[in-house]
Amino acid sequence: MTTALILASYILIWPIISLIVLAVIIGATVRDTRKARREGREVV
Amino acid sequence: MKDVSLHQLSTLTVIGLLLAFYGGTYLLTLAIKKQKEDTDAFMVSNRSVGFGMGAASMTATWIWAASFYAAATSGYTYGVSGPLHYGLWGALMILFIYPFGRRFRALAPKAHTLGELIHARHGSSSQLILAISNVFGSTISLMVNFTAAGALVAVLSPVPFQVGVIIAAVGVLSYTLWSGFRASVLTDFAQLIAMMTVAILIIPVLLFAMGGPAALVANLDKITPEQANLFSVDAVLNQGAPFFVAVLAYSIGNQTISQRLFAVREDHIKPTFITATIGYGAVVIGLGMIGLMALLVGVEPMNGDMNNLIPQMVSLYLPAGFIMLFFILVIGSLSSTADADLCALSAIMMADVYGKNIAKDHPNPRKMLLIGRLTMVVATAIGVILASLSLDILMMLVFVGALWGAIVFPVIASCYWDRVTNKAFTSAVVAGLAMFCIVRFNLVPLKGAIAVFFELIAAGGGGVVIGLMAFGFFGRRAGLLASAAVTVLLAIYGHDFLRDYRVLTASLTAYGASTIVCIGVSLMSNTRFDFAEINKRIGNYDNRSETDDPTTENAMPGMADARG
Repeated sequence: MTTALILASYILIWPIISLIVLAVIIGATVRDTRKARREGREVV
Repeated sequence: MKDVSLHQLSTLTVIGLLLAFYGGTYLLTLAIKKQKEDTDAFMVSNRSVGFGMGAASMTATWIWAASFYAAATSGYTYGVSGPLHYGLWGALMILFIYPFGRRFRALAPKAHTLGELIHARHGSSSQLILAISNVFGSTISLMVNFTAAGALVAVLSPVPFQVGVIIAAVGVLSYTLWSGFRASVLTDFAQLIAMMTVAILIIPVLLFAMGGPAALVANLDKITPEQANLFSVDAVLNQGAPFFVAVLAYSIGNQTISQRLFAVREDHIKPTFITATIGYGAVVIGLGMIGLMALLVGVEPMNGDMNNLIPQMVSLYLPAGFIMLFFILVIGSLSSTADADLCALSAIMMADVYGKNIAKDHPNPRKMLLIGRLTMVVATAIGVILASLSLDILMMLVFVGALWGAIVFPVIASCYWDRVTNKAFTSAVVAGLAMFCIVRFNLVPLKGAIAVFFELIAAGGGGVVIGLMAFGFFGRRAGLLASAAVTVLLAIYGHDFLRDYRVLTASLTAYGASTIVCIGVSLMSNTRFDFAEINKRIGNYDNRSETDDPTTENAMPGMADARG
């Protein structure tokens, strides 16, 4: 049981981290886009 | 062992997916306003890329088609620690560039390529070494990514390999050609969202579709003790260490990375690189876990080809829709890297070749843009031709890797140590490459005193790798201490040992030899370089009032005659 839990955590931690990073990137991009729009420039 | 065939998509589905992907990507780039296009925007997006886009672009570029396949192969071959020894070291290399990247930006805030910085520091020969290595590296990368597209459609559908290659090449070129780097960054963002979403879905769904963790634990006794060991020495020496050394070279030498470094807003460099490090590691290690799962449930790679592992696992355990998601995952990863390569090649031809060596710092910005776009078209054509020839690229990859390995210390030393000369730079790279070839291609038998000689140089190379990392994050004293400690330890424990790991030893030899020669030749000279000169010698190629007049050749102030 413990081994299964450890193995599951070892495998599933990566998609969880990916999800967090994805949220951070999307959030930051939305903020950047809004700021760029306010300043009248393009985001890239 | 389970022998699994791959789920097949219809021709219509594959063509539809490709058209939807590239059509959508192209439509996205139409959001970029064309009238503001200039060379600075085309090459580095006016250095105004924010944290979110920057992190997304860095991550998407660093993840290429081979990342998933290689991470899964590593998991399948080395077991529990395998995915870590691919993804972790690759991720750390993004982080490794960060402190040096800040130095590059501080020295040359207006640079578009690392070659421009080296040109300002040393002159044409050193710059062209860097430029040529990048032309080879990015062309090979283009070929690999187009090949991956062709192979993917050929293995998952009745569509021929060649059709897949051409659709991918035309698709990538179509959205990159006009807006260059800006299009690359914008589409990287969308491609990364697609890639990460697919990875986030596929890994847990696959795990539970195959019976959950309990099904894997039930098979743990079927793998070797070495594969079950998280600290497997076998995995470190055969996968982790050679990859670690190779990607270090890749991260410093490659224009796709330095281009993003010069494009991200300076105050956003740190969060961008940290986020990209974590993002790359999580996606690649996560997908590498599919290789580990395949090993534990006893899936045999179809036709002995490890690249089939992930599609086989998806075909075996998941509904057909997931094969389409996997398809998008691979197309997204290869496209984001291919467009970065096109932008890197165009920037090198625009700035390093035309701007610095043909126009001699008096470039015509419109001609530069034309050169950049023509470079993209020619590079795409070459990439398609090379992909169609199905060349064995191992030798080319080995050479480019060695060249970049030999470049790492001279590039970094040139940015910190005022005594490094052009002669020291070029002779160090040549020496590093030559010594690498001797070891890698077995030009002399590694026996007796010769083996000891190369083991000692390789030990020095190991010291250089660790020392540079410590230097980047903790300063000169830490770097020197770490370098000395690792060199001594490797000299002692690597004796009569490193010679058996020829790939690793050859890579370390490139680092060690180039460092020794660079330091030695630099110490023979008494000249000192004023780093403030670099900023004076690198400027923007666009002067709006002059750009509007196509007959006017544009000059950059303070750049005409200065060479270090």
